[in-house]
Amino acid sequence: MVAPRMDSSLPAQPNLRLTIIAADGLYKRDVFRFPDPFAVATLNGEQTKTTTVIKRTLNPYWNESFDMRASEESILAVQIFDQKKFKKKDQGFLGVINVRIGDVVDFSSGQDQMLTRDLKKSTDNLVVHGKLIINLSTNLDAPPRGNLAPGNNAAAGRPSMGTSAGSSTSGFPGAPSPAHTPGPPGPSGAPMPNGGMPSGPTPGHAPAAGSAGPSAGGSQANGGPGRQNGTFSSFEDAQGRLPAGWERREDNLGRTYYVDHNTRSTSWNRPSATGGGETQRNNERVANTQVERQRHQERTLPEDRTGASSPSREPLPAATNGGNTANAATMMATGATTAGTGELPPLWEQRHTPEGRPYFVDHNTRTTTWVDPRRQQYIRMYGGQNANNTIQQQPVSQLGPLPSGWEMRLTNTARVYFVDHNTKTTTWDDPRLPSSLDQNVPQYKRDFRRKLIYFRSQPALRILSGQCHVKIRRSHIFEDSYAEIMRQSATDLKKRLMIKFDGEDGLDYGGLSREFFFLLSHEMFNPFYCLFEYSAHDNYTLQINPHSGINPEHLNYFKFIGRVVGLAIFHRRFLDAFFIGALYKMMLNKAVSLSDMEGVDADFHRSLQWMLDNPIEGVLDQTFSTEDERFGQTQVEDLKPGGRDIEVTDENKKEYVDLMVKWRIQKRIDEQFQAFITGFHELIPAELVNVFDERELELLIGGIAEIDVDDWKKHTDYRGYTESDEVIKFFWQTIRSWDGEQKSRLLQFATGTSRIPVNGFKDLQGSDGPRRFTIEKQGEVNNLPKSHTCFNRLDLPAYKSLDQLQTKLTMAVEETMGFGQE
Amino acid sequence: MANSQRRITKELAEVTSDPPAGVTVSLANESNVHEWNIMMDGPPGTPYAGGKFKLLLVLPTDYPFKAPTLNFKTKIWHPNVTFDEKGSMCLGMLKGDVWKPSSKIMSILTAAQQLLVEPNPDDAVEASIAQKFKEDKAGFIKEAQEYTKKYAN
Repeated sequence: MVAPRMDSSLPAQPNLRLTIIAADGLYKRDVFRFPDPFAVATLNGEQTKTTTVIKRTLNPYWNESFDMRASEESILAVQIFDQKKFKKKDQGFLGVINVRIGDVVDFSSGQDQMLTRDLKKSTDNLVVHGKLIINLSTNLDAPPRGNLAPGNNAAAGRPSMGTSAGSSTSGFPGAPSPAHTPGPPGPSGAPMPNGGMPSGPTPGHAPAAGSAGPSAGGSQANGGPGRQNGTFSSFEDAQGRLPAGWERREDNLGRTYYVDHNTRSTSWNRPSATGGGETQRNNERVANTQVERQRHQERTLPEDRTGASSPSREPLPAATNGGNTANAATMMATGATTAGTGELPPLWEQRHTPEGRPYFVDHNTRTTTWVDPRRQQYIRMYGGQNANNTIQQQPVSQLGPLPSGWEMRLTNTARVYFVDHNTKTTTWDDPRLPSSLDQNVPQYKRDFRRKLIYFRSQPALRILSGQCHVKIRRSHIFEDSYAEIMRQSATDLKKRLMIKFDGEDGLDYGGLSREFFFLLSHEMFNPFYCLFEYSAHDNYTLQINPHSGINPEHLNYFKFIGRVVGLAIFHRRFLDAFFIGALYKMMLNKAVSLSDMEGVDADFHRSLQWMLDNPIEGVLDQTFSTEDERFGQTQVEDLKPGGRDIEVTDENKKEYVDLMVKWRIQKRIDEQFQAFITGFHELIPAELVNVFDERELELLIGGIAEIDVDDWKKHTDYRGYTESDEVIKFFWQTIRSWDGEQKSRLLQFATGTSRIPVNGFKDLQGSDGPRRFTIEKQGEVNNLPKSHTCFNRLDLPAYKSLDQLQTKLTMAVEETMGFGQE
Repeated sequence: MANSQRRITKELAEVTSDPPAGVTVSLANESNVHEWNIMMDGPPGTPYAGGKFKLLLVLPTDYPFKAPTLNFKTKIWHPNVTFDEKGSMCLGMLKGDVWKPSSKIMSILTAAQQLLVEPNPDDAVEASIAQKFKEDKAGFIKEAQEYTKKYAN
């Protein structure tokens, strides 16, 4: 215990300006409520200053300045409390930092010092989290920082805070006095020398950085050459100080990004401090969001489209039962519902809907169908439109009944098509068949369309009767959605989704739920919350943040996010989010491989590949173990039992690489992923989603975008080719002839994701920064094109004809499994 | 013992027992093998001769799968080292796409020393210094010597 000391050596006038800027990643003590944090600064237990209360946040931003009288020996304590609770003894306590002024401030220099410190526990041992950012300045002539922040004109020395405050000199009711808090900082919270790195790798410091982003604790050590920002505090860089409320951070790969505490958003671009910058940034942000929203709304899936092979384009019998006029030549137009002759098969029964429409109950399988079982064997199917008009007698009955809500009909050319009354759509594809009989449609397309139809037709994906109401505030979409979606059962969530935005009129006929998923995906995947982070591949595909545990509630959030992904698929909405290939594979319970590593960490992938390609004995000195750095503490993890004592040799290195890849991609985030997939499976059963491959799953979740080929072409580079080369012309001609899905597939093949940057192809990113789409002259004309997703590059042999190019390109895009193409 | 530590400890023993001429190595902190203090003498016959340069070598947790970083802690006026507090240097073998897990710290130190002997103005991080080096060798030598006297004593 340190007794408050009465220091008579203090100057008469204030000589130290304390600015309490922000806290980050505070502990969330209540599941459904964020705290209302405020800070109390006490110098030597005498001079007490209080900030305003910021409502409902774990990342309060105050930026308030207080002038105080201090000597080198003074001890500054800054405590954070939840205003709603702080009257109850210690309950509202959210952490404290203690600083000996002389350790951080040099009174003779007139400099200011930015400090980022971990919040510490009090003596009652309540869990605390996060860090506190303050500034100490001895230059009191400068305007206080608080005055610089737009919309936050808290003046220096603001004495009161709502109801309870009043006193600016004495303690607060219930607020622990400095004597109550731990003594002067110990080694782990060691004060930084002037000019020290506030985000340096000191163990005690790392969790703070970790709360910011992704493993910043490790990133200092891992940062590539020249990536460290040296002696700059996180509020400035070589270009000077960042605008008020902005902070510079590094992510897991040492890439610099910027956190805007004013709007709780992140950006790769450095904010400019010039006048009007704030408005301009806001405008840009709003404009970008609008572009993204537009793109999001234009996304589709092939089943939704009236594509060339969809029957709705052909002259069709009206979908309403119009065809009871018997037409002998074409059979019954609505053959499926026309009565057959003779006895029904055993245990079949004919019933009628209230509208008088007949349907058939199969008591053998306890299913119903519109199709008369006596008629089925007479239904003829074409082998394909161009298959010499050979008509196959298809023993349809062997396939079992159609899924509920489906009906089989015939066109006036006696071709079978299917009506899905659930969605009021038609298709040539029999939902019961594992693969299409349409031989003239490209394989990949047939498969995805087919799989979708099959998938949608399954009973588990039927919308249940009733409604599922979700009411949220736009301003609190993450928080409100979490509460709404977690309080309902999975069964309730399968009812018709009715989204309501607080304070807005409008019934959800699709538009609101589209907007809902759009907004929510922007929030819940925002790296600001440390649940997801951007992958090494570019700066928009997402992966689970291995250090999400900084948020003690993280597993609940992952379960929630899994539910939301499932919910979107179930209700046929798209998320505006794209994951690394490995995550889609994991969702499909597929094994990850070395090539998946490339999208996670290209340097690491390169070293592992090198290891496989070169003799390593006596060179690498590795064992079957690895180190995991969590919050500044390095732990040894065995890759297999007793691994740390097993040498890696040329014999067993393949196993080592496999285990290492699994550990890096899967095991490190296993808890998070299990929570995520549990939530997901509550809406989408594993055995149903498993019909898709990982690239189809990306399209299922994110939809297929409209791709602007002109923009694509305009921002393409060539190596060994020029734009006027014949094969390049063939290439673009082919791309233009393709539909959205094929284009998306090609993008996945060449760049690893079907996602296009907000500002179009000019912003395409590779693993090492901006990388335009590149076509390189490479390979023999007999071979297929290859891709290097890391560099957004397509190796295109100089094919001789349009036909050859189309065949080879289609085949490459179709046949290639997985994302890693190297 | 953990993987990277094994390899690092082995390399530390190698470098301490047989360091490149004019180089001494010590741990920045005895309990952490991932940070090395390097003291490097300016190679004779260069404008850096007579200077003592302090460098910091940081070995990542993923070492040797990821490249280390090497920074000059003593300011040095050189085309390939940033002339600021960071002293970041551009050493080819430490670039992510060039690094091989078989590369050794010994060779990194030798390469760094060699860069003082032979600056590489075509891959410069300080363009103005590189220009001076290319266009006015005598002026370059004089200025580099002055900075060596000023900072590296």
